[in-house]
Amino acid sequence: MINVKEPGLMTTVQDNGRNGYYSFGMPPSGAMDKYSFIVANLLVGNDENAAVLEATYLGPTLEFDCETTIAVTGGEIPPKLNGEPFGLWKPVHVEKGDVLSFNFVKSGTRVYIAVAGGIDVPIKMGSRSTYTLCGIGGFEGRALQKGDLLKTGEASNPPASTEITLSEELIPKYGNRHEIRVIMGLCSYRLTEESKKKFFDIEWTVTPDANRVGYRFKGEPLEFVEREQPFGAGSDPSNVTDLGYPIGSIQIPAGIEPIALLNDAVTGGGYATIATIISIDLFKMGQIKSNDKVKFIEVSLDEAIEARKELNGKLDKVKETIKTVSIGG
Amino acid sequence: MAEKIPVVSPIPGVFYRRESPDKDVYVNEGDEVKEGDVIGLVEVMKNFHEVTSTESGVVVSFSVENEAIIEAGQKVAIIEPK
Amino acid sequence: MSAETKTQTRYEYGGDEFVFVELSESMTLEAMFKGMAITNKLAEQNREGIIDICPGNASYMIRVDPEVLHPDELISVLKEIEASLTDYEETTIHSRLVDVPILFEDPWTYEALMKFRVNHQDPDSTDLEYSARINDFESKEELIQNINDFPFLVSMVGFVPGLPFSFQLTSQEKQIEVPKYVRPRTFTPERAFGFGGAFAVIYPVQGAGGYQLYGTAAAPILDVEQKLEDFKESMVYFRQSDILRYRSISMDEYERIRKEVEEGAFRYRTREMSFTPKDVMKNPEEFASKVMRRLYDDQR
Repeated sequence: MINVKEPGLMTTVQDNGRNGYYSFGMPPSGAMDKYSFIVANLLVGNDENAAVLEATYLGPTLEFDCETTIAVTGGEIPPKLNGEPFGLWKPVHVEKGDVLSFNFVKSGTRVYIAVAGGIDVPIKMGSRSTYTLCGIGGFEGRALQKGDLLKTGEASNPPASTEITLSEELIPKYGNRHEIRVIMGLCSYRLTEESKKKFFDIEWTVTPDANRVGYRFKGEPLEFVEREQPFGAGSDPSNVTDLGYPIGSIQIPAGIEPIALLNDAVTGGGYATIATIISIDLFKMGQIKSNDKVKFIEVSLDEAIEARKELNGKLDKVKETIKTVSIGG
Repeated sequence: MAEKIPVVSPIPGVFYRRESPDKDVYVNEGDEVKEGDVIGLVEVMKNFHEVTSTESGVVVSFSVENEAIIEAGQKVAIIEPK
Repeated sequence: MSAETKTQTRYEYGGDEFVFVELSESMTLEAMFKGMAITNKLAEQNREGIIDICPGNASYMIRVDPEVLHPDELISVLKEIEASLTDYEETTIHSRLVDVPILFEDPWTYEALMKFRVNHQDPDSTDLEYSARINDFESKEELIQNINDFPFLVSMVGFVPGLPFSFQLTSQEKQIEVPKYVRPRTFTPERAFGFGGAFAVIYPVQGAGGYQLYGTAAAPILDVEQKLEDFKESMVYFRQSDILRYRSISMDEYERIRKEVEEGAFRYRTREMSFTPKDVMKNPEEFASKVMRRLYDDQR
């Protein structure tokens, strides 16, 4: 059992996500930064898809009632065990009664806390991920609260050696300025040529209205091509006949502030979508904070698929390191 | 004289000096505060986080305006411990 | 099928995991039925690498694992299916007719819409009054009567889990069309019945929203706990191709249904019906009256 002494700002149970129900209007949810999420699981000997805790900005305080192994990855929210700082991206042995807590966020936004065996909550529609908007999955469908008691499952493999050090290239660094790759398309024909160009020229600022549903950006207004609105679309030039929104798609209601939809997205609606963040950079979005600056970079589909392969290559290296160290040790 | 201590917000967001627009500010410059007293709120992702004083002392000054957008780790006020 | 409609179809990438296909910019029954036929055929193929098939109003969307099924390969499959659709108007659709009780002009949506008057195009009237006026109805009662008279076909489920976008089965001249709020509301009550563009919707849970608000549905459309019999198999009740009759009810009936829901006894009145897109498109109003007779066992 894990006793939640302090919940942090927004700490939820997440796994790889609830895939296959998008046509019901059910977003996938799941860990936002999948790379950090998978590495955390690998370090404690879990399946890649085991449920972990995702904490945003402010880490929780957790007390463990039995001996186990944990790993903290993701944004630099420095973890402490019984007040003693320890490193992220490493498995750490905890004893019964040990207390995990965190210092203030230094960089990035979200930490992932994996526990050997995974967080054991009921599987809802194929996933343990929390979708707070409708109260589905996770721990009682909500973010953690003080006094919650979390169960853990059985680990599938022994944890990695606590001696392990992942090489620099395998540990992401998070700054305050980001480049996010997108594929232009969907309803981008609705933007004027000038505004399409502007969309890529502007350095956008992430507003405080940035959560698991989506991030809203401030910059300059963009303009849509004037037209007589088609039947069913609604009257604003940014309106289209209600359609599906891909995860990562970017819309600009009334041309004012772009919104990028993320893991807990609304699955459809009546705003023109103009571009989609590539799947690998959705992981990066999970580490972007309010007030950070974002520039969107246009890439091709093949570049996006290449980026997936690169990331898989990185994960293979993590697995390799874990294997080598455990054999060597 | 004791060293002045900054109060920082652990999270980024919008800083508020009052609980709601129709309420008074939590504290004024020159007021005495105890350790753990709320001196402001930070709103992010539609969540509100209370910023508390880490020392007992006097609020020397606020470093940011009400409703200012602040960074994680940014100084919001200065306390002079007693 | 006509060559003009084919050339209108747009195939677009939604990042590396989605393919978005727009069959028509405007909402038409033809585009909806076509999208339904294409997505059904794709589902029958059971292709590896497909994660989600999401039929929409006048478009549809497919989510893939691009390392298993390259989006370009999927697009060529979809183009083939579309080209092979010679008889989609004749294809039989097995549909479920559902009686959906709505309390129009209820206190809860009234409170919400009054609170957000400044977000509306016409702050001095209610959403119903405004919608009736711009659609040339004599009164709001006439607009409510129109919603009552002709059932709606669920053309897409989405936004939030279980929300049905439904399109009225009547000729386009008689279709209600309304704008969305100028600025979306930050609050919409649970089970609110709303209208935006050419679509009637029910909001399953409370949340943000931009549709005009007319009433509240008495029964839930999303049951996360799956307590009611109708939700045993799925927490979401409506699906694309359901035909919904939004029936205006009194406060007494509303309260009676709420009690049934709380006791776990409520069930939707439903009937099965098969039809072809041609049956609907040839004469939507005649089809609508057939639906009504079937749903209420000719007793109306």
